[in-house]
Amino acid sequence: MSDTAEPLVGIVVASHSAKIAEGVVELAGQMAGPEVRLIAAGGAIDGSLGTDAGRIAEAIGQADAGAGVVVLADLGSAVMAAKLALDMVEPQTAARTKLSGGPLVEGAVVAAVQASAGDDLATVVEAAEEAANMPKDVG
Amino acid sequence: MQVAELEVHNKSGLHARPAATFVKTAAGFRSKVTIENLTRGTNPANAKSLLAVLGCGVEQGHLVRVSAEGEDEEAAIGAVRALAEGGFGEAVPG
Repeated sequence: MSDTAEPLVGIVVASHSAKIAEGVVELAGQMAGPEVRLIAAGGAIDGSLGTDAGRIAEAIGQADAGAGVVVLADLGSAVMAAKLALDMVEPQTAARTKLSGGPLVEGAVVAAVQASAGDDLATVVEAAEEAANMPKDVG
Repeated sequence: MQVAELEVHNKSGLHARPAATFVKTAAGFRSKVTIENLTRGTNPANAKSLLAVLGCGVEQGHLVRVSAEGEDEEAAIGAVRALAEGGFGEAVPG
């Protein structure tokens, strides 16, 4: 809908499970549409459960279109791996990459939709954090 | 200010993809765009925020008021009307 071709904020989903990361990317992509760069970084390098800083770093590089990247992580050690990954990417990409403490699924969905709406990095990060309060009407 | 009052026909209301499509449409305009759920009597919420729109709790059959204020308010409301008529990108019953 945007009248410009300005780059959108990208999203990286870092999970201990490749299936979780891929599933979250699939869901968020359905909601946000194809314009946003949504990259899954799940599992250890041998495909087992775990995290790999190199894999996350690669994902951050792919997600960065120039407007920055939000990284969502599932558990604490995925956050640690994401922090390590920041030392492995281009400095200008690292400078515009934010780790989010938001919930993995809800945060990725909300962040992806706001990114697709053309919001800037700070707004997308804020939305991902606020997704912890996503209304679900469970009654 | 331009205003549209619309009944939402989507089965799941304004949730999931219809909500995302609505937010993206609203965000495509410079005007300030808000949405109120008249059926529930909610306060105006930022139509460019998915969480704010979800917070309106719009279900099938609810009446919403979308307001736009700014340089492209007419186009914004026109786009929202067209989107609603098209079922917010979803097939709608009847």
